[in-house]
Amino acid sequence: MTLFKDMAAFVAAYWMVLLPMALAVAALTWLLPRPRGRSIGRGAACGLAALLAGGALLFRSGRSVTPETVLFYAFAGMAILGGVFLIVQRNPARAAISFAVVVMNVGGIFLLQAAPFLMAATLIIYAGAIIVTFLFVLMLAQQTGFSNADDRSREPFLAAFAGFMLLGVLLIGLLRSYPESQTLARTIERLESTRDQASLQEIRSRLGDSTEIVRLLRHEAMRRGGSSRVIDFENAVIDLEAVLGSGQAGVEQIRLRIDEVCQAGHALIRQDEPKPLPAANTKALGLSLFSEHLFAVEMGGTLLLVATIGAIAIAGRRAEATT
Amino acid sequence: MMPLANYLVLGAVLFVLGAIGFLTRRNLIIMFLCAELMLQGVTINLVAFARQHGNMTGQVFTLFILTVAACEAALALALILMLYRRRKSLDVSLWQDLREPGLDSSVDADAPLEEPLPESLPKLTPAGLEPDQTPEDTYV
Repeated sequence: MTLFKDMAAFVAAYWMVLLPMALAVAALTWLLPRPRGRSIGRGAACGLAALLAGGALLFRSGRSVTPETVLFYAFAGMAILGGVFLIVQRNPARAAISFAVVVMNVGGIFLLQAAPFLMAATLIIYAGAIIVTFLFVLMLAQQTGFSNADDRSREPFLAAFAGFMLLGVLLIGLLRSYPESQTLARTIERLESTRDQASLQEIRSRLGDSTEIVRLLRHEAMRRGGSSRVIDFENAVIDLEAVLGSGQAGVEQIRLRIDEVCQAGHALIRQDEPKPLPAANTKALGLSLFSEHLFAVEMGGTLLLVATIGAIAIAGRRAEATT
Repeated sequence: MMPLANYLVLGAVLFVLGAIGFLTRRNLIIMFLCAELMLQGVTINLVAFARQHGNMTGQVFTLFILTVAACEAALALALILMLYRRRKSLDVSLWQDLREPGLDSSVDADAPLEEPLPESLPKLTPAGLEPDQTPEDTYV
C-alpha cells in the first residue's frame, strides 16, 4: 500500500517528465520498422507531442526570448528529429543522410557554445568523411535497396521502454540538481527590498514568515556544495536567523545581517554564471592541446596510425585472390 | 544565456536515441551510425561543460573523441566489409551463432522475405608442389 502511495506521489511530482517519456515510447514503438503493425501517422503524432511536451519542460517562463533561445530550440529540435529519422528509417542510405543532418545541427549547437573550431572539425570529419565513406560501402553492399533485415527491428517496445526509462532517470536527476536557477536571485531581491523599510515592524511584515525564507536560503546553499563561498553564505544565513529569532534585535542589526546575506548571495550567483572562455578559440585550443595534453595528442596520433594499419590488414585480403 | 541543463538534456536525448537504435536495428551500418549518434550526445555534454567552466578541457576531450571516432569508423568499415563478403548481407542476425552459450536463437516472427545465402568461407590457395617431408635431424 505504501509502495502504491509512493508511486502515486512520484508520478504526481514528476508527471512533466514522465508524460513526454511515455509519448516517446509509444511513438518509437509505432515508428520502428516492422513488417506488420507499423503506423507512421500515429507514431509521428505521438512523437511531435512528446517533443512539444519536452520542449515545454525545458522552457521556463519569465526568461526573456533571446536569439540564443530561438537558435537553441531550432538546432535541438532539428537534431532530435534527425536522430529519430535515423533510427526509424528502413533505407540505410536515408539513415546516413539523417545522420548528416544531426551532425550539422550539433555543429550549430557547438557554435552557440563558443566552439567554432570544433564545429568545423565535426562537420569535416563526420559529414565530410565518415558519412561519405559509409555511403560508398552501402552502395557497394546493398544495390537493391533495403532488404529483409531492414524491415524488422528487434523488440521495438522493450528497447524504447528501456531507453526512455534511462532518459527519464537522467532528466529527473537533472531537474533535481538544476532546479529553477533563479530562486536564489529572487529571494535575495526580496530581502533587499525589505532592508530599505524604515521601522522594524515594516521589515518584519515585508519579510513575512522568516523561517520560510531561511529554509529556502539553506536549501539553495546545500544544493551548491561546500565551497568557501557557500560556507560564507551559510554563516551569514545562520546569523540572520539568530537575529530574526531573538526578538530584541534593533533595526540596524537586522539591516546589517540582511546586507551580509545579500552580499554572500550575489557572490554565489556570480559563481553560477559561466566563466568567460578565451576569445581566440582556435589559438586557445591549440595552446591547450600542445602544452597540457601533448602526451595525449601523441597517443591519439599513434592510435590513428594503428587503426589505419589494422583496417588495411583486415580489409586488404580479397576473397577473389584466395580462390 | 541558456542554462547548462538544457544542453545536458539535449545530449541525453541524442544518447538515448542512439542507444535505442543500436539495440533494435539489424543493419550493421545503421548500428554503427547509432553508435556515432551516442558519441554526438556525449560531445554536446563536454562542450557545454567547457563553456560553463570557462576552460578548454572539454573541447580538447571532444577533439580526442573525434580522433577515436575516426579510428572506429575505419575499423568498423573494414570489419563490415569482411562480414559482408562472407554472407553477402549486412544483417547482423546472421551472425547470431556467435552469441553466448545457452541462449535461444532469435527467430523472425513472420517468415523472411528471402532465404539468406549460405556463408562463403575463404578457400586456401593450392600453390606449388607438395613439399617432400624429410624428417629433420634434431640436436636438441
